[in-house]
This record gives sequence, C-alpha cells and structure tokens, in this order.
Amino acid sequence: MKNNYVTIVGNLPISFDLHESMHIGPVIASANSNKSIKFAHATCNSETNLQDMLNSINFQGTNILVPEELFKKYVFFNEVTCLPDFPGIKTLEIDPNNCTPQSLSLMLAVYLKPKVIFLLGYDLNNPIEFTRLKSIIISNPDIRFANICSPRIKKLDELDNSFCDTYLKYQEVIDARK
Amino acid sequence: MPENKFYKYSLKLRWPSVCRNRSVEILKERPDLAEQMNRFREKVSTVLKIVCRKSSYIDNNHSMSGIRIWFESGQDVYDFIIRQPEFNWEIIQELDIMNIITGQLQNFEVVYTPTGVVIA
Repeated sequence: MKNNYVTIVGNLPISFDLHESMHIGPVIASANSNKSIKFAHATCNSETNLQDMLNSINFQGTNILVPEELFKKYVFFNEVTCLPDFPGIKTLEIDPNNCTPQSLSLMLAVYLKPKVIFLLGYDLNNPIEFTRLKSIIISNPDIRFANICSPRIKKLDELDNSFCDTYLKYQEVIDARK
Repeated sequence: MPENKFYKYSLKLRWPSVCRNRSVEILKERPDLAEQMNRFREKVSTVLKIVCRKSSYIDNNHSMSGIRIWFESGQDVYDFIIRQPEFNWEIIQELDIMNIITGQLQNFEVVYTPTGVVIA
C-alpha cells in the first residue's frame, strides 16, 4: 500500500514520541540507534547491529532491510529482507555496504515514493551526509523532504522541495491526519 | 494458497527420476506415473506437516521438473533442506525469496557445505 507520509529516524537521539508518527505512515529506523517503538522497516549494514536487532524484542515483526551481501548470510531469518536496487545509487556514489544506516533509510523512503518524507534525528552535521541528502532531494523533485528539529535550523530551506520545521509543527501535521 | 499469510520462501523438489520431464500426453498414457506423482505429493505434504512449525503449502501449478513448495518461515526452509537425506529426495539447489518491498521474487543458489547450507 502506498503511503503519503514516511518518517525516517536518523542516527541522532530524539525527544519525540514516535508512536505519534505511526499514525500518518510507516516509520523507518536507522539500525539499532532507536528502540522506542516497533518500526515498520529498519535498515542496517553491520552484522553486529543486525544480530542485536534480531535479538531485540522491539524489532520483532520489523522488516530489517540489509544489503545483498549481508542478506545472504541471514536469508533464513524472516525479518531480514534484501534492500532493493535503488535508482541513482551509482551516480550518487553510495556504497550500501559502507554508508550510514540513515542514508539507507533515506533511500528506502525515497523508493517507497511518498509525498512527504519527515527526517527526525537526521545527522546533518556530517558534510558528506549533508551533501548526499541534498543530492537525493534535488534528484527527487516530486517528494517533499521535511527536516524536523528543535530549534529550527535553515539548512535545507534553499531547496525547492525541502524545508525544516519543529516538532510542534510536525505534531500538528500528525494531529490533522489522525 | 492459504489466505492471510505471507509465503516468503519457495523451493522446488524434483519428481522421482522416472516421473521427470514427462509431457501431459505421456502422463495420460501412463497412469502409473501419474499415480506415483500423486503419492509423492502426498508424502511431501505429510513431511511438511512434520517438519514445519509455521505454514507451508505445495503449489498446484504443474511443473515437469518437480513440485514447488512455499514456506512462511525461513527456519522451516532450513530444516526442510538439511533433513533431505532423511527423506531421500532431491531439492533443486535454488531458493526463491519474495521481497516484501519490491514484490519481486529473488533467486539464490543453495550451496551445501560440511557445516550446513549457505546461500551464494
């Protein structure tokens, strides 16, 4: 089923009740950095993290998406799914085996083709991550990207299809669609 | 196919050697072969009930090489593969896995090693 809204939880800690996010669409976790809810999907490219996730009650029933190399080792675990071939991954020079889990989550969210992707706890301080995010935003003009953070920063405002907003505004979006 | 279940894994079990690669015309002329194939299906169905902890089923679509089995659980697939010598039959060394995100069936090669089964 196609969802209009997808929420990504990045690598940074967040102070927001993610149960609320589940009201508007699937929430994607980036590896095991957040275990506050039962996520619809999670991405991971490290065997250590994957083993932790498979043994964690929070990830039972979550589709854990991993690169093909890792998938082949954990093929007989129902929760583990192979990451799809993301369009443009070579152009953007992203190696799914070595990039950050939040980049994988972002690409997965884009693959699901929602109208809006909300980024929560997404690390923009890393220049590589920031440049990569900008490239993905520019190459997907049909999707709007909302970076949710407090206090509000203006890092993505210069792009046509992205903006930054606060958790209060995000909660208002959720409340309007409950 | 039983409803409301996601059958993620699929593999094929070869027919007994005399029944392989038989056309429909031949099977019509040789009821003994058809009977043997039916018995084989029944045996597989019984074994699936013994081995599998979760749901599985045999595909009704006919194939000349063997019967396709669908599994809900990966652990059941692994058990089914490693217990092959016990039941004395031959699994085609390919595992098809339904990707829930793309909706496509991915094909992987099953490789037997002294320590178990790996996917290439």
